[in-house]
Amino acid sequence: MDALLFWILAAGAVTASVLVIGQRNPMRSVLLLIVSFVALAGLYVLLGSPFAAVIQIIIYTGAIMVLFLFVVMLLNVPTEEIPIGRAARLLGGAAPRRFGAVISAVLALELFWAIGRMTVLNMPGGDVKPTEVHDIGVRLFRDYAFAFEATSVLILVAMVGAVILARKEPR
Amino acid sequence: MNPQIIAQLIVIGFTFFMLLNSAAILVYMERKVAAFVQQRYGPYLVGPKGLLQPLADIIKLIMKEELRPKSADAFLFYLAPIISAAAAFSAFAVVPWGADTDFSTLARLLFLDKLFGFKGLEHPIHLAVADVNVGLLVIFSITAMGVYGIVLAGWSSNSKYSLLGALRASAQMISYEISYGLSFAAVIMLAGSLSLGTIVDAQAGYWFGFIPKWYVFIQPLGFLIFLTAGVAETNRAPFDFPEAEQELVAGYHTEYSSMSFAMFFLAEYVNMVTVSAVATDLFLGGWHGPFPLPDGFGWIWFLLKVLALLFFYIWMRWTLPRYRYDQLMEFGWKWLLPAAVLNLLVSAYVALRVNGW
Repeated sequence: MDALLFWILAAGAVTASVLVIGQRNPMRSVLLLIVSFVALAGLYVLLGSPFAAVIQIIIYTGAIMVLFLFVVMLLNVPTEEIPIGRAARLLGGAAPRRFGAVISAVLALELFWAIGRMTVLNMPGGDVKPTEVHDIGVRLFRDYAFAFEATSVLILVAMVGAVILARKEPR
Repeated sequence: MNPQIIAQLIVIGFTFFMLLNSAAILVYMERKVAAFVQQRYGPYLVGPKGLLQPLADIIKLIMKEELRPKSADAFLFYLAPIISAAAAFSAFAVVPWGADTDFSTLARLLFLDKLFGFKGLEHPIHLAVADVNVGLLVIFSITAMGVYGIVLAGWSSNSKYSLLGALRASAQMISYEISYGLSFAAVIMLAGSLSLGTIVDAQAGYWFGFIPKWYVFIQPLGFLIFLTAGVAETNRAPFDFPEAEQELVAGYHTEYSSMSFAMFFLAEYVNMVTVSAVATDLFLGGWHGPFPLPDGFGWIWFLLKVLALLFFYIWMRWTLPRYRYDQLMEFGWKWLLPAAVLNLLVSAYVALRVNGW
């Protein structure tokens, strides 16, 4: 049962992720990304961490993707246009495309090579007991308190930066 | 099959059935209360006292033609109401509506033991679809998914009113979600658990023998914030901007008709029930009443409290005028959010002092 669910969710996540980059319609891309995130949350549940799954949905699908959707909706780009003009010839012409194809083929080969050499590590025990919220809290706010606080300062700085960049100069 | 599993399946089916019916009951209640507030009679022709009016409404909706604007994105246009309704129903899945019971008292009172030899189950079962240990967060995440139904409806209709309604809806729901989450975070700290069942049981018992230990008495501000944010989350008046008739025709569901429209309608009422049920579990002691009922009957208290909250919602809709959109945003960010943060900090301090961690 677990194995079947794993394959369904994993296939869902991978297919959706591949389709995200294959779409010309940005709206569809955003929606497929949401599907991929939800499938990923399902995988977290299978790993015995419902908390991580729920947080994944709240933060990524609930907050971040809504903002993405917002932007796509406001810009209202119907479909990605095939670029024309001189700049397009430089980037989208035959030579850059061939170059790109070669690079991605190399990447694919590298991936196959790396995955082939992978050794499967033994997971601690077959039945992992569900992670308690309390344990996560202790880890986050006691053991890794410094990293946590540093991250929050970083995010705050980024936020202030965004406000300053977006602000119109008063005349 | 194991009688435990059969009983649990019956409970799940019953929950779903009641949730479906609650929409019909609420439509009737809403129209009657509205009529009372406006000094009218309300529906009274269909059935005794107009009780069959919701049924007539449903038949009317089914019979109507299903329309789709020519320029609409067909797939997303039909997907949106499904997302809305599915999210509304699945959020209720983790809400427990009664204490764990083995039905022995119920079997005795209904003479099931004499008639069928049913003496109650071996082990008590949950009166909920599933009591998950992160239940509250599950509700929160599914509510967040509900936004997509509205946003997609607005975008895929390809109409200016729908789009404006959807934009308002998403902005409003994101803004009020924060206060909503912070207000129940205070309760989580007091109860020390994310499971709704555990939170309700933490409210059992009485102070001085007669005041029930409900969190509403410790968290009055939290309760008010939760209710206010809940109204905004369900897009009800006075915060019903996504569908403000005078400005946006019908907001995000302007282009919908027939059963697709009915789905949005259903979702709105089911969301109201869910918010009221969660408020009951979090702040009003769930199935613990002012005096205890026999084992297996606590859900009567739960039902009464949810009905009272729903009445309050309807009452408010027909009493208060709609705010202005900028007032809504200002209120959400400048008043409700600081109040929620303050409430959380004070609760954290008190919880730390009392529980001593």
